[in-house]
Amino acid sequence: MTREEAFVRLNKVFREVFDDESITVGEATTSEDIEDWDSFEHINLVVAVENEFSFKIPMGKVVTMKNVGEMVDIILELGK
Amino acid sequence: MTVTSLGYYALLLVGIALYYALPKQGQWVMLLLLSMVFYFCAAPAYTILFLLASAFFAYVAGIAMDREGANGLSAHRKAVAGITVAAVVLNILLWFLLKGSSFWMVGSRLLHRLIPAFPQLRALPIAGALGMGYYTAQVIGYIIDCYWGTIKPQRNFLKLFLFVSFFPQLTVGPISRYSQLECLYERHRFSYQNLCFGAQRILWGVFKKLVISDRVGLIVSGIWADTGTFGGVWPWVAVFLYPLQIYTDFSGCMDIVLGSAELFDIHMPENFKNPFFSRTVQEFWQRWHITLGAWAKDYVYYPVLKSKPILAIGKWARKHFSKKTAKKIPWLVGMAVLWFVMGFWHGSMRHIAGVSAWFWTMLVVSELCAPLMEKATARLHIDTESTSWILFQRVRTYVIYSLGCVFFTADSLTHSIDHVKTLAGALGSLTSFQGTIAGLGVTYADINVIIIGVLALVIVAILREKYGYARTWMQGQILPFRWTVWLLLFIITVLCGMYGPGFNAQDFIYEQF
Repeated sequence: MTREEAFVRLNKVFREVFDDESITVGEATTSEDIEDWDSFEHINLVVAVENEFSFKIPMGKVVTMKNVGEMVDIILELGK
Repeated sequence: MTVTSLGYYALLLVGIALYYALPKQGQWVMLLLLSMVFYFCAAPAYTILFLLASAFFAYVAGIAMDREGANGLSAHRKAVAGITVAAVVLNILLWFLLKGSSFWMVGSRLLHRLIPAFPQLRALPIAGALGMGYYTAQVIGYIIDCYWGTIKPQRNFLKLFLFVSFFPQLTVGPISRYSQLECLYERHRFSYQNLCFGAQRILWGVFKKLVISDRVGLIVSGIWADTGTFGGVWPWVAVFLYPLQIYTDFSGCMDIVLGSAELFDIHMPENFKNPFFSRTVQEFWQRWHITLGAWAKDYVYYPVLKSKPILAIGKWARKHFSKKTAKKIPWLVGMAVLWFVMGFWHGSMRHIAGVSAWFWTMLVVSELCAPLMEKATARLHIDTESTSWILFQRVRTYVIYSLGCVFFTADSLTHSIDHVKTLAGALGSLTSFQGTIAGLGVTYADINVIIIGVLALVIVAILREKYGYARTWMQGQILPFRWTVWLLLFIITVLCGMYGPGFNAQDFIYEQF
């Protein structure tokens, strides 16, 4: 899976979780950029990403990821 | 020794001189020595053993995890999980035995009523360690971070012990992560800016505590101590003054702590961000005791929400309710667990059944009412970004917080309920003042000092909101202005601070945890 492919699939997940078709995520997107992205939605998002990519994200990575770019790094690392 | 005593400042002066004079590789040893001197002057000597035990559990767990984790086999992963659980449980048990006595005393009393043969347990006749709630949380965080692999375990026990016992944080935190305090082991160069910023922050903290908090504390505790004399509107005055007392007490101490650390070029995490500027209860808890909230979020809330039972509840809810409603159900459960743990950390039933229950309910009500509120403001054409609406929201948050603090001011759940009854009874006589302010041991001059203090707080809060730190703004001002402000603050603190003969400096409220 390429980085671009990961972004396309991730964008779909974001739109579903936040119920917002206008969302387009980039490398630097953070919780500050998406209104409803609070600590609860963060876990919903992580679970939705796990379901989309069929692997578990370790808690250490869940609590330390700072932006969508880092989320994609994790997806590419775990999806190898 | 407290952080407002002269002995503490003498220790700081000697400490800074030695710290920067020593070879840089030995600076962390100096910090450890200073921490030990502070500890032995501030708490019973034997209680250092509890700190040592906590640090030892964490150290052994970290080293064992490092060895097991390197093997990478699933059997070893299980061993790592076992070590983590054991080390966390041992730390909680130690805290529970010494600081959580009210839980097992209440529990044994209830059991005694059901089974008369069951003994009524009493608190152990030994004191808990200084800052036990704070360092225990830090140690648990360290163990879990090692388990998650977000940090590399510390292989030097004394270095880890410094992380646990670093002296400024032993009074009231903040609850730092290991990754935030790794700077303790680095080499630090003397910087005039650190010295100025640290000293300024300490002065501001002492001003908050000795000039404002202790004065407001006289009024609040005076009213609650004798509600028979101070009836009418007075109990409600105490309710709405208490947040001012606890904020200036806790954040004042935090300023002293962070300022002290800054003198050594150690930058600790902030615990407050203008909490009374919060427009909602949710926002308030992101601005108040930030490090406890962040700790509970990472080590309790996230793991609970990602646990199998909660995920199953979420799945079940999605089948039976709309998408929006289904989302609320695991959130409700997750928040309930989070608030239970926060109440438990405070170490008493009144915190769980009173403070935590109140704020959890308020959070749930505000979350559930949010769509309704949105519709109502739209229909009534209310500009939600207008100054008056923002002010209304801030006052509403202040009122909600003040009411929750009623359980904080009492020393037991029974007394809290008495306070609630007093407040309900006083609702019918809100226009009358029974008892005079002089009877509380404060003069009208004290009231003026409080008013001036609050004005200073508001100005600093506005500057902080605008510039990140009020001192960032101050730095841009001309030298005579800066010196006038700091000298004035120093003189007011010396003249109006409640210390010395005839005064009894009150303990920091959060010191008990």
